[in-house]
Amino acid sequence: MLIREIIAYIFMSIGAIFAIITVIGLIRFPDVYTRIHAAAVVLTISAAFLTFGVAIYVWEFFLSLKIVLIGVFFLIANPMATHSIARASYRTKVAKLKVRTVDEYSDYLGSEDK
Amino acid sequence: MRQKLVTFITLFIAWIIFSGGISFDVLFVGTLVSLLTTSLFHDMLFRFSNHKLSLLDYLKKFGLILLFIPVFFYEAINSALKVSIHVFEKKPSFSPGIVKVKTHLTNVTAISILANLITLTPGTMTLDFDKGDRVYYIHWIDVKTREEAEARREIIERFESWLDVIFK
Repeated sequence: MLIREIIAYIFMSIGAIFAIITVIGLIRFPDVYTRIHAAAVVLTISAAFLTFGVAIYVWEFFLSLKIVLIGVFFLIANPMATHSIARASYRTKVAKLKVRTVDEYSDYLGSEDK
Repeated sequence: MRQKLVTFITLFIAWIIFSGGISFDVLFVGTLVSLLTTSLFHDMLFRFSNHKLSLLDYLKKFGLILLFIPVFFYEAINSALKVSIHVFEKKPSFSPGIVKVKTHLTNVTAISILANLITLTPGTMTLDFDKGDRVYYIHWIDVKTREEAEARREIIERFESWLDVIFK
């Protein structure tokens, strides 16, 4: 077994472990916003590690570059989706904050309505 | 003109990477498609607000961005581990809340990149940005402090200083 393959397997298994943690978190966390936080783990860490590991595993110039580019697109597209889901579900009052300590955003929205 | 040239080169490189090899057909079709796309949409991909920068400044910015990538991944893994610990607690004991954090950045690109970086790190998520007061509304999974200055140091200062240097 090549040392390059071992490194690739380590990267891919770190990604897989974080993905499993995300799924457990999605089930256990109480409301929409904390679940989005759990999902953010898989969106950044897991996707980045998996694409990087696969790119090392195939080890072909154009193919690896293509896979890394896909990973970069992941990192560009994910925060927009996360942000718009959270903002829309807050503003349309579909999902309420079940657990909270402080909520300064509702004050801001209240002052905007006047 | 410079805007068109940079857009054309970026599209052409992306085309070559995605087609997976260099041959006459690939280069010919790529040139045609990139020219067509550039002529239609050249003002969408890059916006040069400051035309006085020289090539050296752009190279310096590129180097700083490359240096920033490992820093970002270090911070992301750090906070991912913090979120992962909550998953395995018997009764998840966190204190989520929405805090208000003020930024001193003025560049529009820097502000949106900072918002995306906050969302990308697990544990914090941007909900909204107030243009008048330049304030982010951030959903934070573990509100340690309600002081604005403390929250600012905790969430955005690690990225803000880098963006300050890059988008000077």
